[in-house]
Amino acid sequence: MTDTHDTVAAMVAALSRHEAWRYTKLSPLVAALGAEWWQPADQVADSHTPAPEFDAIPLDGTCDLPAISRQRQATPEGGHDAPFTAQLNRLFARQTTAIRLTDGSHPEQPLLLIQRADGGACYHRHTLEIGAQSAVTLIELFDSGRSEAALCSSHLQITLQPGARLTHYRIQQQAASHHHLGSLQIEQQRDSHYRLHAIELGGGLSRLDLTIHLQQPGAECDLNGLFVLAGTQHADHHLTIDHAAPHCRSRAEYRTVLDGRSHGVFNGKVVVQPGAIRTDSAQHSANLLLSKRAQIDTKPELEIYNDDVQCAHGATVGQLDDEQLFYLRSRGVSEDGARTMLITAFAEAVIMGIRHDPLRQRVEQAVLSKLNNG
Amino acid sequence: MLEIQDLCVSVEGKEILKGINLTVNAGEVHAIMGPNGSGKSTLSNVIAGRPGYTVTAGSIRFEGSDLLALKPEERAWAGIFLAFQYPVEIPGVNNSYLLKAGLNALRKQRGEEELDAMDFMQTVREKAKLVELDPAFLSRSVNEGFSGGEKKRNEIFQMAVLEPKLALLDETDSGLDIDALRIVAGGINKLRDPSRAMVMVTHYQRLLDYVTPDVVHVLADGRILTSGGADLARKLEREGYDWLLK
Ligand SMILES: Nc1ncnc2c1ncn2[C@@H]1O[C@H](COP(=O)(O)OP(=O)(O)O)[C@@H](O)[C@H]1O
Ligand SMILES: [Mg+2]
Repeated sequence: MTDTHDTVAAMVAALSRHEAWRYTKLSPLVAALGAEWWQPADQVADSHTPAPEFDAIPLDGTCDLPAISRQRQATPEGGHDAPFTAQLNRLFARQTTAIRLTDGSHPEQPLLLIQRADGGACYHRHTLEIGAQSAVTLIELFDSGRSEAALCSSHLQITLQPGARLTHYRIQQQAASHHHLGSLQIEQQRDSHYRLHAIELGGGLSRLDLTIHLQQPGAECDLNGLFVLAGTQHADHHLTIDHAAPHCRSRAEYRTVLDGRSHGVFNGKVVVQPGAIRTDSAQHSANLLLSKRAQIDTKPELEIYNDDVQCAHGATVGQLDDEQLFYLRSRGVSEDGARTMLITAFAEAVIMGIRHDPLRQRVEQAVLSKLNNG
Repeated sequence: MLEIQDLCVSVEGKEILKGINLTVNAGEVHAIMGPNGSGKSTLSNVIAGRPGYTVTAGSIRFEGSDLLALKPEERAWAGIFLAFQYPVEIPGVNNSYLLKAGLNALRKQRGEEELDAMDFMQTVREKAKLVELDPAFLSRSVNEGFSGGEKKRNEIFQMAVLEPKLALLDETDSGLDIDALRIVAGGINKLRDPSRAMVMVTHYQRLLDYVTPDVVHVLADGRILTSGGADLARKLEREGYDWLLK
């Protein structure tokens, strides 16, 4: 065990020199959980998952759908090239839950994965394989049990086999005293389609490393992100989209709403390999700063190794529009009401893409109550 | 209803209005005419409470109380409505959602009950007919992708829904073709009421051919040069502003 802790201590120390960790510091974890914040909590947290308010196929032990197989196995060692969030998870998540949806299945209900931390550091590790020509929705909820300081470390590796389609809703609504280090790795085979809506609402410090490998021709991904942060919240998404095959398409559209002294980080890296001709990639980040002390660091990175590509990127940073505010107020809407209307309209562009009604309402409500309570 | 005394207003240190005096009574329709840049929009904006203007002297009273102390939404609640010269597009904010929020805030201030969804839709559909606005516009984002004429019609439609005591119509006729002008003017005429005052800002006679004003004022370089009846507007149409500016 001491070996492991030396390894982690060395990894953490190395982060201070790492460009990908320039804007995100782990000091909140030290403050909340102590110098060895990564020490796993004694209890396994996923024992008491609350019933969701909608019908879904739970991916914990109670799942009994024949199309889905589920196995718990010892986490394999090795794989040092992964980002820090993935490495850390590998070191402490002793078990990996491997889930597979069989070929050609189209479950009507969404798959549901609830991951929580109840105090201390909790490690969740899953692999999910979507069989060829299958189509399904995955809802991943991160919330909190008790309110003691906690770290939720999550690693999810998804493989989409040829022709598979996955819509993934990843909703982070942890308590303010909870921190989050997430790793999400997507492997996409021929003609597969992956759509993500990642919503960051809760938590103190929240980091996600998202890696998409478009491994075979015709693969497409459509990534949508929304941060609504206030107080001293910090959320950071680092995306790497690896175009490794011809005729693949990627989209990333991120929106952030930052109030108080909150800090958002968006880094979108697109790599186009030499053979990946006819690559079509676009990313955009739009950011709304509600306070002078809120901060956004947004950066696209392009590494392109052939000529036959279309890559677009852009970013905007702005405040609420005075003309629009005055127009709404002149119609009798209070100043606060007008602000909420404009912020909601901005966030709605991402929220509207959630095509699961109860989940969309849940997110809308959470955003509204967050805006109204500051 | 509205009493403006010696009003001086500056923008970014530049004096735009240089001592305006204007009294508008319930039931009256006033027209304010004048060349571009004379301060007409500034005057309407200051009455409606648009931020960015500094009132350096004078006062505006509305039904006896100090209007300048009120926020824009409080002025709307008091019964003031501005039809914008350039209505702003607000993507993502639904037209009828805005109107419902505005109307219910107004009703609450007046001690009336909020309208439920059914009653609201019925009211709104009725008022949309007044300016021949396709009800499909209700479910679109505020002014987004509207043509110039549709934006102006939407302004008059909103006025019909909010039923103000004092309506300020800033260049509501500009950018309208002759059919749209007739429709908009028809809407305005239907909204004329003994309890309601209107101030129409325009630099053309066009609208006044359809909506006959009780009083016409000529504003130039931040001052009201002269005031008169409807025939003053016709004289301006024939002879221009030059005879006044000399
Ligand atoms: N926000 C502003 N900033 C600077 N100057 C302004 C602003 N608004 C109006 N002005 C100036 O004030 C003068 C009067 O403008 P305005 O009231 O729009 O005139 P009108 O509506 O009669 O055409 C113009 O010279 C215009 O350039
Ligand atoms: Mg004007």
